[in-house]
Amino acid sequence: MPLADIPLHTTNWIILVVLGGFLALDAVSWPQVMISRPLISGTLGGWLLGDASAGFLVGAILELMSLRHPPFGASRYPDTGPAGLVAGASYAAVGAASLGSLVAAILAGWAIGWIGAVSVQLRRRGNERLLADEAELAARPEFLEGRHRMAIRLDAVRGALLTAGFILPAILAGAWSVNQPSLAAGTALGAAMLVTALAAAAGAGGRTSSSGLRGWPLLVAGSVLGALIVGFVW
Amino acid sequence: MAFTMLPLLRRIHAGDPVRLSDAVARHQSAFNSHPYFAGMAAGALARAELEGASPASIDRFRTALRGPLGTVGDRLIWASWRPACLLTAIAAYGIGLDPLWSALLFLITFNVGHIGVRIWGFRQGWREGLGVGKSLHEEWLVRVPRLLAPVILLLLGLDTVLLGRRVLDVVSWEGFFGGLAAVAVFVALVAFRWPRRTGRIAAALVVFIPLAWLGLALLNG
Repeated sequence: MPLADIPLHTTNWIILVVLGGFLALDAVSWPQVMISRPLISGTLGGWLLGDASAGFLVGAILELMSLRHPPFGASRYPDTGPAGLVAGASYAAVGAASLGSLVAAILAGWAIGWIGAVSVQLRRRGNERLLADEAELAARPEFLEGRHRMAIRLDAVRGALLTAGFILPAILAGAWSVNQPSLAAGTALGAAMLVTALAAAAGAGGRTSSSGLRGWPLLVAGSVLGALIVGFVW
Repeated sequence: MAFTMLPLLRRIHAGDPVRLSDAVARHQSAFNSHPYFAGMAAGALARAELEGASPASIDRFRTALRGPLGTVGDRLIWASWRPACLLTAIAAYGIGLDPLWSALLFLITFNVGHIGVRIWGFRQGWREGLGVGKSLHEEWLVRVPRLLAPVILLLLGLDTVLLGRRVLDVVSWEGFFGGLAAVAVFVALVAFRWPRRTGRIAAALVVFIPLAWLGLALLNG
């Protein structure tokens, strides 16, 4: 794909980076309204680069893959805000018409999500240092407020840096992947593998919400309903 | 927690910087619970401060409350409400709703519940003070996850097929859709039975797609 056709320029790069910072904030710091979910961040990324539907598709796939990683207790989970944004934007940027670029976007989103998770751990260690002087914090409440606000600002900077660092490589990887796979057999195999991956993610994710095994007929019933909609409504 | 409670603590201990400093010190340690239910603890602790509860009882209360708040919140929000809203939005997109409207559908439905829970929790905490624990036994906190669990499974099956179809549309799939759907359902059931092992397969399969392409290209010279 010619790089000149990619609709990324300085203005929307800056918007993406600022938005990446805000989306990273949403996951833990503030306001936790779930704009950091890949479904939303992916759609926003796609919309900013001209194709909201492409961003939604990537976001929805990442969402199913993330269902198995809820933020229970001290568990580690992917940082999906900047990850979904970059993934959605990268797929939309290259025209959203190739399996290769779809797979590249999903891989980019998944990888950035886990890199983001590591950065969250590092940021938390930084917060511990920021709030280490307990006597001073208790004696001066305004100092406590200042430190908390600084921690929140650092979280936004973390998200912005993640987005800034990965948006261009992700788009370039997507552009390179537009003509992949080179063989028709590869297309069929890749599509089948991706659908199977979706099914595995959905099945495993289902156990997060359902502790027992007795719910499996509902999973099948939902699939049959889906097949009926695909077969008769589409 | 001290940062969250600071506006209330400033009012409660207005004009007494020593008591304010002591109160901030009491609430400074980590309070790991659920973010949407932490307001319940903040309300209850602020009430206890207002009523002059002893530091020891406040400390015991903090320790006793955080675990149950986390458990209730995880089950109600992370395991039930959020996936139900997300999967509804994906299903809406799958049957043809505009992606921006579908995304908005998730944000609106989820946040109606989210903000409602936050307001309810803070009010209960402020009203009940150190006796707020009984609010965690309210029936709806158990009933909602129980009602949503089957809905989530139904939506998961539906969304997998609808999203799968969207993926196949990208490649203008001409193969036998029914056969692939049957394999997908089988894999979903295996993953449902053994989620820890097979959950990783989802990510692994996506990673292996480019490798499979590379292998095919090499085989074809």
